[in-house]
Amino acid sequence: MGTKVVTSRATDRESRLDDVWVTIVWNDPVNLMNYVTHVFETYFGWPRAKAERKMLEVHRQGKSVVSSGGREKMEVDVQAMHGYGLWATMQRSGS
Amino acid sequence: MGDDAEEWLVRPFVRRGSRLSAILDTDERAIVARVVADVGLLLGAEPFGMDLESREPAKSDDLFSNLRGLEDSLAEPDDPALLRLLPNAVPTDPEAADEFRRLTEPDLRTLKAERLLRVWEQLSEPGPEWEIEDTEAMSTAGALTDVRLVLASRLGLVTDDDAEALRDEIESAMTALGGETADGPTMDRERVWIGMLYQALTWLEDSLIACVMDHETAGKGENDE
Repeated sequence: MGTKVVTSRATDRESRLDDVWVTIVWNDPVNLMNYVTHVFETYFGWPRAKAERKMLEVHRQGKSVVSSGGREKMEVDVQAMHGYGLWATMQRSGS
Repeated sequence: MGDDAEEWLVRPFVRRGSRLSAILDTDERAIVARVVADVGLLLGAEPFGMDLESREPAKSDDLFSNLRGLEDSLAEPDDPALLRLLPNAVPTDPEAADEFRRLTEPDLRTLKAERLLRVWEQLSEPGPEWEIEDTEAMSTAGALTDVRLVLASRLGLVTDDDAEALRDEIESAMTALGGETADGPTMDRERVWIGMLYQALTWLEDSLIACVMDHETAGKGENDE
């Protein structure tokens, strides 16, 4: 995570079409596997099998990209994940 | 706090119709209610259990009036436990992280504090049963998650291995107490006590989620995908 992203912050608050962000959920020792699965089911509306697959990705690989889109949409997703107690961050896609 | 390393006798959540209930003895209820209230305080809520009627009328009846003014000081929390409840959302971009915090933190604190207050109220009702409607299951689980995040931070649990090690640590502490291995592993009693509380809450939350998910699976018949 040592890459420094250089941006022109002042003006890019409004979303540009090519300004794609991602929401990442990180593994932690506290959140239960069934809880994370159920959060993914309820918040993202994923079927159980997909929710479990993404949960296992978090658990085994340490993180998983759970959504992507404009910055404001990602802010909503990250806030929701924090609401559930999951450890989530967002960043520019590809950074 | 009585004898520190007494075994928890919690009976996990089971479903009874549309209600889910767990059983805790009086001491356990009191301990869980207190730690729930402590996390509320950590989030900046007014102390739970202040009798609403005994408040001075001049005072706002808003339980979260402490939260006001926080907008002025929305710096990243110094306390690692609080930081885990309100994490840095954009580690690659401090400016965006600050903006996110400014936009979302008051709402997140309120959401979490209200959820904790609801659990505190449930635990403050008389009787050994901790009963909730299944519609409240996820918010109860969210509150339990927040409490466990704080306890885990106090216990220094950072990795899955740390959590594993805690289990072993508690087990050997219990064995040492059972027998008279006076020269057993030197154990920090407070740590063991918090660790056992953490584990009891973990079982409770796990059983709560299992109730919800089993019910949904049963209701749906077959799984999708």
